[in-house]
Amino acid sequence: MPKLMNTRSPAAQASSPYDDVLKKRKRARRAAEFKNIFPMFLMMLPGIIYLVCNNYLPMFGILIAFKKVNFSIGIFKSPWVWFDNFRFLFETKDAWIMIRNTLAYNAVWILMGMAIAIFVALCMAEISNRRIAKVIQPVICFPSMVSAVILSFIVYAFLSTTYGFINRSFFKDSPINWYASAQYWPFILTIVHFWQSTGQSSIIYMASIGGIDKGLYEAARIDGASKFKQIIHITLPMLRPMMTLMLLLSVGRIFNSDFGLFYQVPLGSGLLYNTTQTIDTYVYRALLELNNVGMSSAASVFQAVIGFVLVILSNAFVRMIDKDSALF
Amino acid sequence: MNDRKKVKAPAIRDERLFHNVALVLMALLALYCLAPFFLMLSVSLSTEQSLNTGGYSFWPKEFSLNAYDYLWSKRFTIGRAYGLTILVTVIGTLTNLLLTSLFAYPLSRKDFKYRNVFAFVIFFSLMFNGGLTASYIVWTRIFQIKNTIWALIIPGGLMGGMNILMVRNYFNANVPYSIVEAARIDGASTFRIYWRIMLPLSKPVMTTIGLFAALGYWNNWTNGLYYITDTKLYTIQVYLKKLMDSIQFLKSSDVAAESAALAFKALPTESARMAIAIIAILPILMVYPFIQKELVKGMVIGGVKG
Repeated sequence: MPKLMNTRSPAAQASSPYDDVLKKRKRARRAAEFKNIFPMFLMMLPGIIYLVCNNYLPMFGILIAFKKVNFSIGIFKSPWVWFDNFRFLFETKDAWIMIRNTLAYNAVWILMGMAIAIFVALCMAEISNRRIAKVIQPVICFPSMVSAVILSFIVYAFLSTTYGFINRSFFKDSPINWYASAQYWPFILTIVHFWQSTGQSSIIYMASIGGIDKGLYEAARIDGASKFKQIIHITLPMLRPMMTLMLLLSVGRIFNSDFGLFYQVPLGSGLLYNTTQTIDTYVYRALLELNNVGMSSAASVFQAVIGFVLVILSNAFVRMIDKDSALF
Repeated sequence: MNDRKKVKAPAIRDERLFHNVALVLMALLALYCLAPFFLMLSVSLSTEQSLNTGGYSFWPKEFSLNAYDYLWSKRFTIGRAYGLTILVTVIGTLTNLLLTSLFAYPLSRKDFKYRNVFAFVIFFSLMFNGGLTASYIVWTRIFQIKNTIWALIIPGGLMGGMNILMVRNYFNANVPYSIVEAARIDGASTFRIYWRIMLPLSKPVMTTIGLFAALGYWNNWTNGLYYITDTKLYTIQVYLKKLMDSIQFLKSSDVAAESAALAFKALPTESARMAIAIIAILPILMVYPFIQKELVKGMVIGGVKG
């Protein structure tokens, strides 16, 4: 609108007797709009400042990966090296190990996790005594309430070489040094992961099973379908949209890993890197233990960019299947 | 009549079998989920000698409260870490709720024409992040947050994009827009509408995200790991982590056996360590029965869109 006003000549403006009234009205409307919007901006301001500091400034931080950072002359003056950091990173054996571990653990856990979560949800739905079910549900969810540090204490109580429950009960004569034997850790981490996450991941399926029309089961029973057949032909097909959704969402996060589980539960033991190093633990170690900002940021940017692409792709698939469940 | 019975009987038997198998399996799962906590409790209640000779077990071989006596003797160090954790949790949670609802409210106002722009700003921050290295450099180099209490509160957890969208959706779905319009016609200011109408009407969703925020702050140990080296600023989780570190260090280091033994003596005993871990989960354990319903609700919403 302002543009239109400017193109008019002053003479033309003065010629209309209503212009003054119109102008006043417009100004009043704009003032009202400002008075309406300004408090909202003010309310959002703290959040915006936080988003800028916590999310958007670090996004520009990905530029660090293309520089040879020298803090003594400052990040801005540090020379550009473009893809050198990435080249160095992918020439190391670490890169292959951490990518392999991240992907392998995620792939196996996504599939196993889905099977376990659905199985638990089916069992919970079968428990006829609802009062017992109402006690069991919070109990199996409780492990997800404790931090990775507490988790590491629990695992240590089982695996400590000298006092640990496992060594004292089963390997008394030849104790196994768990924290130095990388070959056991895929199993240990799997057990710990499912101990912690089973309850939480089954809850979503429990909610979906609760939403299935009971009439379907009644009809199946009248037709003589066994419980097993009811599960195969009613429950599982009804859960399929949710399964697809969860699968796609977890595929979007396949380059991410639980830092606490992979770093703190193995107690950061260097002898276990072969099976416990993931991209997240590498980024941390390169940054704060090796002080290698270049490698750390290269791995971090690699993870962020691939993660972004995967989230977009998986979300596009989610949109195709169920528009309401899509993130955007 | 006879015919019908024949058809129905196996189905009922089959169903009962299913019920019982499911019940047994789930009871076992519940036991499996709880057993590790019993082991911790049992270790913390054992005498040090019995642990040295018999190792960790699910029932204390010799019962003693020595570990908890030790905690009492260390009440200034541990109490400080504990108090700091409470302080951080309270400040962090309240600020989180305030920032989240303040941001979500304008997003739900249909007369706010920039609401989609800001919603996109939130979406994008959820999809893409600069990663740990960049965040670390921003917080330590630009904001100089290292070894201050702010490092425990601000990075990461102060405001979550997912929560904002959740609260916005709640506002949209559960607070009729006509109430807001009526209030505006009566001359209520935007802030007054937020404070007097939106917040009281959104208690359920605020409770849920508040609980998750509090849990997140109580359990947070990564901020302490990244930004804190000053022992005075250890939260209980960081304190426990550093304790574990020093044990591992002494076990793996080549320091002379004598000095290692001496250093070991300065550390809390095996049972005392478990006792500290127990008191770190105690607050969660105490409130869990009362808040689990809210948490489950949050998990259903957050699990899909998280």
